[in-house]
Formats: sequence, structure tokens, C-alpha cells
Amino acid sequence: MTVEEQVKDIVSKIAHIDKEIMSREATFKEMKADSLDVVQALVAVEETFDIEIPDEEAQKFRNFGDFVAFVEQEVSKKG
Amino acid sequence: MAQSSCKARIAVDAMGGDFAPGEIVKGAARAARAGEAEIILVGQQDVVLAEMERQGIPRDLMPVVHAAEVVNEGEASATAIRKKRQSSIVIGVKLVRSHEADAFISAGSSGAVGAAAATYLGMIEGMERPTIGGGFSSFAPNIVVMDLGVNVDSKPHQLVSFAIAGTVYARTMYGIANPTVGLLSTGSEEGKGNDLVKESFALLRKSGLNFIGNIEGNDILTGRANVIVCDGFIGNVVLKFYESIGDRAKVWLMAKYPWVKGLVGWAFDQVLPIKKLSYEGEDAGIGILWGVDGVVRIAHGACKAEHIVHGINAARKAVAVDIVGNLKREIALLKQQGKLQ
Repeated sequence: MTVEEQVKDIVSKIAHIDKEIMSREATFKEMKADSLDVVQALVAVEETFDIEIPDEEAQKFRNFGDFVAFVEQEVSKKG
Repeated sequence: MAQSSCKARIAVDAMGGDFAPGEIVKGAARAARAGEAEIILVGQQDVVLAEMERQGIPRDLMPVVHAAEVVNEGEASATAIRKKRQSSIVIGVKLVRSHEADAFISAGSSGAVGAAAATYLGMIEGMERPTIGGGFSSFAPNIVVMDLGVNVDSKPHQLVSFAIAGTVYARTMYGIANPTVGLLSTGSEEGKGNDLVKESFALLRKSGLNFIGNIEGNDILTGRANVIVCDGFIGNVVLKFYESIGDRAKVWLMAKYPWVKGLVGWAFDQVLPIKKLSYEGEDAGIGILWGVDGVVRIAHGACKAEHIVHGINAARKAVAVDIVGNLKREIALLKQQGKLQ
């Protein structure tokens, strides 16, 4: 399973979002995820991949794709 | 932290609340001395230890788990728990997750406690959002109004989950075998209410719960339904209106019948503390956070030592009756019967 698929799984399960509408271009708002959903997802992703997503980075995410890209980058750094 | 006995281990947020750490530490010490629970204080160690010393509480009465940060009232709840991972709220919740504590109590930001619990303990399958419910002490202590303010915008299936949690609450905490569930609306007939109520009505009818239909505001205190379901916006407005009744009744009576002013004042303050109508009883100002995978109780920000003692006792009871396991079993049963989506 790719990092993107794993992130999709986590976000979909936490925020009860249909994976079909989870495109890289979609914003959390468009996916009807509220602030608690987003925080739960960020923490779950951090714990799953054992990475840290600083708040200042998280605030830069314009859409789901930015979130996935950041996670991919951090996972690849870990080797 | 090893479990040294079968006593419930209750983690208490020493930094949360209007009167923290003083009143919180005082209440926690009282409960620890009663000996029915092991108390773990969570907070800034130097502050908490100084407070214990000021109150003459021996250090070995309660261990203190250090939490360097404090979530302040007014901080955005969801982001605060990520920004302040060393806060007493996050660390207290994590003690439950790691099974170092059986329950956590906080009088701090209720939004932050809810967010931390949902994030770090996770939600029980079938519960999307944490919810708080409870009775209206004095007039209707054995009802459960759910939700009381955690979810100001709710969806119909979330109201069904509140009804399930309320049913388990009434059964486990009040001993009511088959609690009736009423949906708070503007009329008792089906079809009355807003879209949320109408859609929730249809779901509740086929939920397998003991649903008796809509009930109106004037039924809340009569006990017509054991469990009253509404979104957190309505629930919170109703709760705060109820909390104001005692005080307003006193003001009104003293203005209308000034010749009994002395008597009314004395009677209400000494014999019948009517202005405290909503705060008497064991559950006063403190509630279980339902739906999260662990026992978490949120206390009123203005709570005093006696409320913390009550809260610790109620948390002990919640652990003893296994509210989390009961809720999981109820949801699993309803799913098995095909009554839940």
C-alpha cells in the first residue's frame, strides 16, 4: 500500500469521508472534514508513520495533496 | 506506574478550572484520603507540589505526573491539543490510553478535553463524536439529556448515537432496564420540528432503541422519557436556562412579595438552596464524555473541591460498571440486529 493510500485510509476512517471524493485537489472543507477531524487525522498519521507534522507546516496545507506530499517527503527522509 | 491494588486509578488535571490548582488539589486529596481510589495528579510539578505543601498535603498521598504546559480557556481546542502536547489535558488522556490510569477528570477547556480524548483514545466504532449528557439535578436527576453542548452542529445519525449512549447511561448509572428515548422537538407529533429532528425521528424509529417519539420542552422535567436526545446547541441552551431558574425564582419572589424578603432569603439560602438547583447531587457540574474509548469526565470550569470529590467517585463508578464496554456491546448488538447503519 502506498503512503497516499494509507493516508487516505486513515482520513477516510476518522472523518467518515468516502474515499471516492478524496482527490489530491480537494480541501478538507470540501471533503466536509471539520477541525477535530483534521487534528485527529494529523495525529493518527504522525503515529502511524512515526513522523512529526509541525503546526506551521500543517497550516500551509492547501489541500489533501499537500498533506500527502508532506507525509511522503517525511517518510522518504526516514528511508 | 504499576497498579498496586484493585482500586480505580483516577488521573486528575490539577491545572484545569477557574480555581486550579487549589480547589482541584484539595478535592483530589480528600478523595485520596477516603481511600477508595488512587489519585494521580497531572500538572506542572513545581506548581502542584507547592500547592500540596501549602495545603499541608503529604507528598506521598498522590503521585504527580509532570505536564509542562496548560491549555488556556479560549484557545482553539482542536489545535491546542496538537500545539501543547505536554499539556496536562493531553498527558492525562494519554495516561488512560497507556492504562496507567483508569479514568481522567479535567475542569479545563471542555473542548480541548473532548478533542484530546477523541484524538488520543479514539472513538468507539459507531460513535462519530464525543458527547456529554446528564440529568437535571433536583427536579429531574434521573433523566439523561444528550447532547449538552459538545456538538452544536449534529447530523441525524449522530443523534442516534447520542440516543444509544444515553440509553447505556440510564441503564448503567440509573439502573433503568429499558430506558425510553424521546426526541426533543417543537411538537409531539411525528413531522414536527426542523429537518434534523424529522430525519432523526425516522432513524430512531428503526434503531431498536425504546423510542417513544417526540417530546416537547415541557416534558423534559416530567421524566416522560428517560433519555432526551437533542443536538448540543439546543441541549446547552436548555441546560443553562435550567441553571438560571433557581436564582431568577428567588429574585422574582423577593420582588413580588417583599414582605417575606427575609424569610425567602433565609429559606432559599439555608433550607432550600434554590439558586443551586442545578448543582446539587453527585453529578453536579460534571459529566462523562461518551463515545471515546476510555473513561473521561469533564468538570464545570467553576467547580470546587467537593465537585472534584463527586467527580472522582462518579468516575470510579463509571469504571466499575464498565460504561465503555457497555456502550461497545450495545452498539454491536444493534448492528448485529441490522438496526444501525
